[in-house]
This record gives sequence, structure tokens and C-alpha cells, in this order.
Amino acid sequence: MSLYTIATLFLCILTFAAAAVRDIHMFQLSSYRYSRYFRWLVPANIFAKNRIYAAVLCAAFLVAGKLQALFALVMFTIITIDIFKSRKKEKTPLVFTKRVNRLYTTAIILYTALAAAVAFLAAQHAGNVQVAAKHASLYPGIAAAALLIFSDFIVLAANFVNTPIEKAINRHYYNDAKKIIESNKGLVVIGVTGSFGKTSTKNYLAAILAEKYNVLVTPGNFNTLLGVIRTIREQLRPYHNVFIVEMGAKQKNDIKEICDLVHPTIGIVTAVGKMHLETFKSVENIQDTKFELINSLPANGIGIINTDSPYIKNFDRITSSCNIIKYGTDSDASLRATDIQYSASGVTFNLAGEQYSSRLLGAGNLLNILAAIAVADKLQVPVQKQKNAIARLQPVEHRLSMRNSGGVTVLDDAYNSNPQGAKIALETLKNFTVKEGCKRIIITPGFVEMGASQAEANRELGRNIARCADYAIVVNATNRDAIRSGIEEEHMPADKYFIADNLNHAHAHLATILKAGDVVLYENDLPDNFK
Amino acid sequence: MKINVGVVFGGRSVENEISVITANQAMAGMDKEKYDITPIYITKSGKWYTGKALLDVSNYRDTKKLLAMCEEVYMRPIYGDTNLYRSNKGLFQKSVVTKLDVILPALHGTNCEDGTFQGVMEFSGIPYTGCNTLASANGMDKITMKMILKECGIPVIDYCWFSDKEWSDKQQSTIAAVEEKLGYPVIVKPANSGSSVGIRAAHNREEFIEAVDYAITFTSRVIIEKYVQKLKEVNCAVLGNYYECEPSVCEVPVRSGEILSYQDKYMNGGGKQSQGMQSTVREIPANLPQETTEFIQKAACDTFRALSCDGVARIDFIIDEATGEIFVNEINTIPGSLSFYLWEYSGYNFGTLVDKLIDIAFRRKQDASFKAVNYGENIFATKAAGGAKMGSKMGGKFGK
Repeated sequence: MSLYTIATLFLCILTFAAAAVRDIHMFQLSSYRYSRYFRWLVPANIFAKNRIYAAVLCAAFLVAGKLQALFALVMFTIITIDIFKSRKKEKTPLVFTKRVNRLYTTAIILYTALAAAVAFLAAQHAGNVQVAAKHASLYPGIAAAALLIFSDFIVLAANFVNTPIEKAINRHYYNDAKKIIESNKGLVVIGVTGSFGKTSTKNYLAAILAEKYNVLVTPGNFNTLLGVIRTIREQLRPYHNVFIVEMGAKQKNDIKEICDLVHPTIGIVTAVGKMHLETFKSVENIQDTKFELINSLPANGIGIINTDSPYIKNFDRITSSCNIIKYGTDSDASLRATDIQYSASGVTFNLAGEQYSSRLLGAGNLLNILAAIAVADKLQVPVQKQKNAIARLQPVEHRLSMRNSGGVTVLDDAYNSNPQGAKIALETLKNFTVKEGCKRIIITPGFVEMGASQAEANRELGRNIARCADYAIVVNATNRDAIRSGIEEEHMPADKYFIADNLNHAHAHLATILKAGDVVLYENDLPDNFK
Repeated sequence: MKINVGVVFGGRSVENEISVITANQAMAGMDKEKYDITPIYITKSGKWYTGKALLDVSNYRDTKKLLAMCEEVYMRPIYGDTNLYRSNKGLFQKSVVTKLDVILPALHGTNCEDGTFQGVMEFSGIPYTGCNTLASANGMDKITMKMILKECGIPVIDYCWFSDKEWSDKQQSTIAAVEEKLGYPVIVKPANSGSSVGIRAAHNREEFIEAVDYAITFTSRVIIEKYVQKLKEVNCAVLGNYYECEPSVCEVPVRSGEILSYQDKYMNGGGKQSQGMQSTVREIPANLPQETTEFIQKAACDTFRALSCDGVARIDFIIDEATGEIFVNEINTIPGSLSFYLWEYSGYNFGTLVDKLIDIAFRRKQDASFKAVNYGENIFATKAAGGAKMGSKMGGKFGK
């Protein structure tokens, strides 16, 4: 092969390296699941930028002739700059974990091998059909560049190749975590799951139990099996006597997997709603998955469930013989809150003859507190200490938390919304007393990942917005029509709502109408691969 | 899996050897089923060492030989880093000796008990037993301790205080002030020494001047106290934290000479190998009237709380036998032998005492983790620095 060809190949490999960063990033955001990745890929991203660049690169080779090396260089520079510029704008950039490094290495090796192979074959082919000399040298370059069009498939193939290694590594981590958790004999393991309310309940429970115990919780959003394994290996120590494990699920068996590792004796199911309906396909599946936690509890264990949630109340497939405690506000609950008062400064309620008060907002938080009290009672935390902790509870950031920003009250409910939570947030917004001339504003993109029921859910959101807010800004391409139809159904005047193209646009518009004394509710937020 | 405890002792203080005893007693009494113990010895020149040889008290007769059998180590004051590192890593050795879960300081005196060591631990964020920086500093300094207790209505002996520079610059007026406020006899003490070092009584002006000149060879802060002639000393220990604590039984340490001297505390003990405070001849539980005992125990707990202490501390009282008044004399935030000989009467042995101290340390760390820490914004990344940042979980700022 000529020097030209080698130089071109080398530049193609560099280009692949840059493009692969974005492909791996999307793959990471899809939780490394092929099906999720393909859902992102087709049809929206078939014409992604890097594919277009690669195609242009091939065409450039065909046209430019001996200038192909120069062209490749120019193209590569443009692509690299573009990719790194778009990285800076991303909210959750690619995290270079060890797994990503392994994947990246394999992908580059794979591309290099494939590119060299097709380049060689192309050169052979050119020789066989006796193309003119000046054109013959183009063929390898075109072949290698064409391969760039399929960069993400190469990344997926590299992942496939790495699968045995990843499996072995994960197996090792799993066994290590198992050993660690089993060596802590007195450890009380509490599982918390639900379509929503998990993280808040987990944090409130930790604050209350910390009055008596040394508590470890799975941090942030580490609610997958790998996250739990990592928490155990890095943070679980012999002096912990309570371990609260938040368990998230994207498909059936996810929760059972975690329970098989940690063996909880207490389980809380906070709610069952129509979240992630695309992967679960049916509400029955969601119910079954959440209740994997309850069904894995031993006979002397305690299952604590929220019967205000209809899909929990009517669930009849509990197989464990553990003790079940029902909490909520309706008559079915044994742990039942009464005399409930909501206000902009929090909530007060009565439970079993005791008066409780908290600064947290909304009905959702009340239920979360009840779940935490149920556990604290069973673990014998004195009632006065429970009350002290509850009075000190602070909202989790972005989960209906409140802050003051330059005279404007911001209600931040930006985390993964669900129809229930949005309704509660809007009710809370409605409850705010504002001064004369001030507005209650909501900014939202609506609900995502709800499969068939997404449109109706967003319409209902629109209706609630019209009933509770004075002004609305809708930020979303997909949901805007559904939300708008709901808003109009409830006769909100057209000058009281605004449709924005993206968040920057929304903020620009907000700045024109905002005044000190206004209240702004941020409802829902979006990760990167859904636009 | 056991809890990794680093027992730190020695130190750049006059009580270096005493702390060796305290630490070895603690390490002998700790439950080996629960804890993995790593002894860490700080030499008089401030270097840290670890090694099995540190567990045999007889090795300390020849420190040079002892240190040759150990390896030098250090910890980093980087938040979250609780590793003990080798100073001189061999080719095939790991740089980390072990990752510690909690530190048990068994250090006495200046540079140890006064908050300096505790401050280093706070930097690395590792849980540690005993008082934090604040309580250690205030407890160690006799002047600030008395100021705080007086403010809280806890009885202390009348006092004055001044600095060494004041003594040099304004000696006449200082003497006059002391004579007017207290009158003779007085006791002259360095504000921050432990174990009775630098302390002298003064019955007249001549003795006073001599005593102060002696005291300022040790310190820059001097405290003068009224000398209670006929006194009885009573000690009481307290175990707990700043919101919940229990007192021990009282003890009367028996003494030679006018004041309990260094000799009394550590060199006597009838021929036994030096066993620190344990071997001072003493009366436990103290033979006192019920209401005196109760008063002392309550005052001890009040003192513990007023100074925001954690862990175990020993509070030393003085009873003026002439008037019957009871005063808090001083507090030892890391008492010799962790005053385990007092706790035996409350049902603790060394093992369960250490268990409680370690539990208090973990709970303090956990309580602190629930307090909001607001690091504020990066003031360099404001509007002035080029445009408000929008997006990122909708945390953008409003206002023009």
C-alpha cells in the first residue's frame, strides 16, 4: 500500500475515535441495552451528523482524487470540533468508566482491523478490474471511510466482543459484594421501591433511623444492581447496622436480582404508576416487578405498602407470608394519617394520637413520611426522636424543593416526573398565596417514556395546568399538542401560555414576563437522548 | 470483616510515655473479634511509626531499637482519604498499609489533646473518638475553660490571667492586679500544660515572681488561681456526647506534697511496672456524703456539656475543706488510662468502654452528614464572567 493510503487510513481511524465517543455516550445513556439504543437510533438518528460526514467524506474521496488526504484532514477537523463542541453543551457528559475505556479500546481495534481489511480488499478489487493507476489508490480510502458510516454498529459489535470480559468482571464484583454483606451479621437491610417516591422516602427514612442507628444508604441514583454492588464494596462497613437499598427497575426481574444479593427483611413499595410503560408493556408487569421486593421478604419480614396508590391497593399476587402494613390516608390503611393540613410552609397531620409536622410540601411527601414512620416504629426509634427528625427534614433537591432566587420563589420538581407527582406539584403551586399582580407559572416538557398512554397523560397535565397555574410555558416538540389540547379544554386564554422550542428559548421568554413575587414551578426534565 | 481502628499515641508532649501506657491498656482491652487494631506511635520529634513491636511496653526502654523494628507511616490531610501510607515504600510493597475506619487518640498533653491532632483528623474526614477540635482546645487551656464554665454558672476558683509579654512589659501593674483580686497564697500555672508541669505555689510576692518566671519558660499564657490551702481533690469522669452523658463514680486520688505531682501520678505505685494513673494510690469510690457526690456528678456533666465534649473526659474537682465549697479545677479530655478504673464501677470494662467511644465517634460523623454544607457558588462563574448558564437541571438564576 502507498503512503497515501496509510495516511488516509490513519486519519480515518482518528475520525472513528472521535465519532465513537458520541456513539458510546448514547450507548451509555441507554444503559448499555441494545433495544433501548435502537429505539434512540431508529428513526430519529439514522441521519445523525457523523454519518452524514462519513458519507460526505466518501464522496469527497471520489471527487478529489489525489487530494483525498487533504480532504480527509479537513473533514476530520470539522467533525472533531463539532463533536467536542456538542459535548460541552450536554448535561450529562460521557463518563469514562473502566468499562467505557475497555469498550473504546476494543472498538478502535475492531475498526482498525476492519478498515485495514476492507482497504486491502478494495485495493485487490481495483487491481483485479485494472482500474487506472490514479483511481486505484482511491479505493482503499473510500472503503475505510464508508466504514465510518457504520461507526455505531462497530461500537455495538465491540460491546458484543467484550461481553464475556464484562460478565466475568461483574461476577467477581457480585461475589465480593455478597461476601461483604453476608459478613455483617446484624445488618438490617431495608428495600425501597416504587414507580416514584423512592429516593425521597429513602432519604427521609435514613434521617429518622439515624437518631438511633448507623445508617448506610445507596447514594443518589445508584438504584441498579451494579450501583448496589458498588455501594456495598466501597461503603458498607462493619459499624453499619442499617442498610437502606433503593431498588429501581426498568424491566421484570431487576428488583428480584437486587433482593437475591442483599436479602432485605423490610420492604417499602411507595407507589405503582404508569412509568416506563414502553419497557414494561403493562401495568400488571410493573406491579409484579415492584412486588418482587415484597415477595422476597422472609416470613418474619415486614412489607410496607401505600394503599393510596390504586395499583397497590388492588394487587392480589403477594406470595410471601411476611407481615404486611398498609399506610396512607384512606380507610384501608392501618397506618392512617388524619387531620391533614397542607400549606406553603409544609404539612401537619395526626397519626395514632400523635401530632406530626414537617416543612415538606405536598401529599406525596406526606405518604413518604408515613412509610418512614412505619419502619422507624418497627425498629423501635422512640416517637419523640422520630418527630424531631421529621421536623428537620429537608426536601431532596429537584423533588418539589423550594428556593428563593432574586425575589422569585422557585418550586423545583425537575426530576423524573410522573402524572401523580405533577398533579401534586400543581396543587401545591395553586396553594401558594401570591401578592397582587404576581403570577403562578409552570415550565414543563410534559411526560415521556409512557408509551401508549403518553398523549392522554399530557392532555390531563394540560387540564391541571389550566386549573392551577396563571401562566404556562411548554418546552417540547413531542408533547406540545397534547398539552395544548388539555389547556384549551379547560379554557385557559391563549395569552396565558407559551410554547418554546427548547429550554434556552423558554428561559428567554420567561425573563420577559417574570417579576419579583412570582412563583415558578419547574416540572420534569430531560436526559440527553430524547429531544 | 472487622472495624479498622488506628490507635494513636505518643506525641510531642511531656506526657508521651504516659500515653504509651494508656494506649497499650486500651489495645489490650479491646475486643479483637470486632476490631483490627493498628498502633500508630508519634515520636517526640513528631514522626509516625507503626509495627507489632509497639504492643510490648518493655520495648520502649530503648526507643531507637524499637523504631528500628517499626516502619514510618503518615496520613494525608485530604478529605475522604483515611489510608495509612508507608513513608518508605519498598519495591514490591503497596503504598497503603491499611485503610482505617476510625482513630482512637490516646495522646495526652500539648500538641495532642489540645485540638491540633483533632484538626488533622477533621481534614481527612475520618471519624475519631473523644472531643473535637473546639472542645479539646477549650478544655486544654485552663483560661478558656474557666471563662466558659464561669459564664455557665459552674463554680470555679477565682483566677486572673496574663501573657508572658504582659508580664515583661507591665510587671508592676500585673502584680498589683493579682494581689488585689486574689491576694496570697496563689497557684501559678501555665495555661496549657498537662500533668502538673510548671506549676508552683506562691505565698508572697517574691515567690510569686519566681513562680511566674518559671511558668513562662513553658508557656505564653499564665493563669493565677487562689490557693485553697486545705483542700480535698475529687475526680469524676463523664462518658457520652454533647447531648447525652453519664457520670462515673468519684475518686479521691491520694497524694504526696502540697499538690499532686508528676511523681505521684506516674512514678509511685509500689514497685509495679509503671501503670500510669492506675497505680497512683487512690480511694474509689470516694468516701463522700451523698449530696457531695451528687453535686460533683452533676457539675461534671454540666462541664462536659458546656464545653461540648464527646467521648470520655475526667473532670478534677477541688473541695475547699474550710468552707465546703466545691470547684471545678480542670478537665482532661483524654484522661490517663481513659479513666477505665472509674468506669469499672459503672459496669464497663475496657472493652465495652472503647466500644462506646467508637460508637460515639461514628454517630458524631453521621450527625454531621445531615447538616447542610453550602459551599456557595463559584463567584468567578457569574454573569460578569460571561452570560448566565441556562439549563443543567434548570438551576439557572433569575434576576437582571
